[in-house]
Amino acid sequence: MRKLLLSIVLLSAAQTALAQAWPARPIRLICPYPGGPVELSSRIVAQKLQEALGQPVVVENRPGAGGVIGADYVAKAAPDGYTLLMGAIATHAINPSLMPSLPYDAMRDFRHIALVVQVPNVLVVNNDLPVKSVKDLIALARTKPGQLDFGSGSTGSTGHLAGELFKQMTGTFMVHIPYRSSAPAVADMLAGRVHLMFDNLASALPNIKAGKVRALAVTTTRRTDFLPDLPTLDESGLKGFNLTTWWGLMAPAKTPNEIVNRLSAETLKAMDAPDARERLRNLGSATPGVRTPEAFSAFIEAEKTLYARLVKVSGAKPD
Amino acid sequence: MDMSLFSNLALGFGVALTPINLMYCLIGVLLGTLIGVLPGIGPVATIAMLLPITFSLSPITALIMLAGIYYGAQYGGSTSAILVNLPGESSSVVTCLDGYQMARQGRAGPALATAAIGSFFAGCVATVIVAMFAPPLAEVALKFGPSEYFSLMVLGLVAAVVLAHGSVVKAVAMVILGLLLGLVGTDVNSGVLRFAFGVAELADGIGFVTVAMGVFGTAEIITNLELKDKREVFTSKVTNLFPSKDDFKRIWKPILRGTALGSMLGILPGGGALLSSFGAYTLEKKISVNGHMFGKGAIEGVAAPEAANNAGAQTSFIPLLTLGIPSNAVMALMIGAMMIQGIAPGPQVMTEKPQLFWGMIASMWVGNLMLVVLNLPMIGLWIKLLTVPYRILYPSILVFMAIGVFSLSNNPFDVLQMMLFGLLGYVFVKLACEPAPLLLGFILGPLMEENLRRAMLLSRGDPWVFFQKPISAGFLIASILLLVILALPALRKKREEAFQEG
Repeated sequence: MRKLLLSIVLLSAAQTALAQAWPARPIRLICPYPGGPVELSSRIVAQKLQEALGQPVVVENRPGAGGVIGADYVAKAAPDGYTLLMGAIATHAINPSLMPSLPYDAMRDFRHIALVVQVPNVLVVNNDLPVKSVKDLIALARTKPGQLDFGSGSTGSTGHLAGELFKQMTGTFMVHIPYRSSAPAVADMLAGRVHLMFDNLASALPNIKAGKVRALAVTTTRRTDFLPDLPTLDESGLKGFNLTTWWGLMAPAKTPNEIVNRLSAETLKAMDAPDARERLRNLGSATPGVRTPEAFSAFIEAEKTLYARLVKVSGAKPD
Repeated sequence: MDMSLFSNLALGFGVALTPINLMYCLIGVLLGTLIGVLPGIGPVATIAMLLPITFSLSPITALIMLAGIYYGAQYGGSTSAILVNLPGESSSVVTCLDGYQMARQGRAGPALATAAIGSFFAGCVATVIVAMFAPPLAEVALKFGPSEYFSLMVLGLVAAVVLAHGSVVKAVAMVILGLLLGLVGTDVNSGVLRFAFGVAELADGIGFVTVAMGVFGTAEIITNLELKDKREVFTSKVTNLFPSKDDFKRIWKPILRGTALGSMLGILPGGGALLSSFGAYTLEKKISVNGHMFGKGAIEGVAAPEAANNAGAQTSFIPLLTLGIPSNAVMALMIGAMMIQGIAPGPQVMTEKPQLFWGMIASMWVGNLMLVVLNLPMIGLWIKLLTVPYRILYPSILVFMAIGVFSLSNNPFDVLQMMLFGLLGYVFVKLACEPAPLLLGFILGPLMEENLRRAMLLSRGDPWVFFQKPISAGFLIASILLLVILALPALRKKREEAFQEG
């Protein structure tokens, strides 16, 4: 018994020592989604963390399998604070329900450090569609069941699942047209081949402002600063409709508390710095309200539950 | 044409010719050329790594540099394609076919110069097209939906088979094998994994670069190992570094045609640029008087696709700048870079930020000029590279290839894949099967399937949609005509044979 106690004491002392010396060498931030806003924001945060921690923070792209390869790599990495992950809604909330077998557990295999970016989706329709509001759209969808098409960047994306939630809450039927990425879906919507999309705010904004597409509502319960006159779906009669695309900093499960807390504090500080905040805002992100590792974990747990339900009703899960 | 074009261009050049912008344009094209020459290390990774640096630059300066990396890499890509049969980008696959053969005949100099001159000419023309017709061409791009893309790709594949040299059966077989390889990965419609065999790395399909570097580069190296006594694959007598007068006579028309085709296909964001070099090559082979020389070192076979690919690279900025729709991963990243700077690429850029729009267009012309000035004197240096003994040159190429492929996604699995495709490529060499149709099938197959199924989904299962849309119907009719042309001589021959027997 004494031996056991001793070893526990020694172990925790060693851990504390490790945490105190941290960071003694460069930190790697694994990004599972290169070439897009996730990588861009990873680099924004990495640059700030590097200044604060006095060690290089290197963004390393490990794409593949909808983010699973990168996330799994970090789940199995040494929990010493030198391997971090920019985990996202897909890796941690949607894939657990969407994918038949996931090599990691989104909750148990990770420490969730800080929510970095949260972007709302916007319900946009082609200009020629004779609807001015969500109410009009519901009415049209009821009179023409199965004749309206909604595009999305991929099966199981937030754009797809937002559409499924919309269909479920309004009791309407629209056909989902999946694309390989959001850009060709937007092109087809601009041309009128697809009627509507639940597009990411940042990608939809220029076309909304130019009057090329009509925005009907935002998918969050709070209105967005970018389009203050745009009502929410919640206001438009779909009570409780609240979907965002998000990603944030994570680490392997056994990473010491000291390191997690330090990283959490530094990341929040980095995000609050005016220049970084401006850059993240330009990606369409509202400053997330989630401010502690515990709140982030709770947030992910809630998101996981929501998407488990949505993936089920959508039939998106491949058999 | 109205006068505003000139005032706009003047504004653009005013922006592009400031010392700081000139400097970053030079840095961009230099970096681009370098990463283009190094196999595998592509513009996506380079631009991503440079993004934090661009935060501190003004938006236009940042974009000028990033665009320079993009088209500089296309330029550099043809250098390694010609010298060592290594296509780093999908656009330089076609350049390998005749460019590398020219290099083996001691004509690497004219090949490289032709690529540079063709690219420069095409870049200049395409820049003017972007300046003059960007908004109306963007409307044309929007006319292309799933059914149009599908029919265009059918035409592309049919043309490739009809115009293949050597055995048609083998060409068809290679295209189909390419289509099959393209099936690996996640099905877009249902999200089901196909032929991934539980390997997570295969969930996104087989990478183009790994296949191309395998069947071209690695296979070439393996094949050369057979030459026991005399491993030097290049003739030591290197002729002139520059194209001769006769060469110029042969290349100017292909360059014109390549530029025209590339400019047209480049505006289609859904895979048009990919088709441009393949399309220009097949077109040239059909109408050139030296058609029989293609694949054996015909200079036209370098000129046309190089012009087409550079023209396409420039006009693909049209959907980006006017609609905010990226044609490829590099452009998607550039959109991100613009967004971070607070500029949303889309219809408003032209009116709200004219200095950005026109400055970027002017910088493309400046950048193209820099590339030619940089690259023509470099040709002598590149040729020297070929005199490096085989036992040193090829292992180093192999190492660079491995590094490049690894850097794609920091995954050793990709290197393994490249080696497997290298072995497969060696088998193809032994069977006298050409790898180019395989790559065409590999690129077009998934795009065709995706667009076919999307068109059918939108038409609720009515296949007539492909003939009801005029553009789509036009492509399909052209494909049928091409097939008839293919069948006709055969029919005629058969008939003649029958008559003779009778």
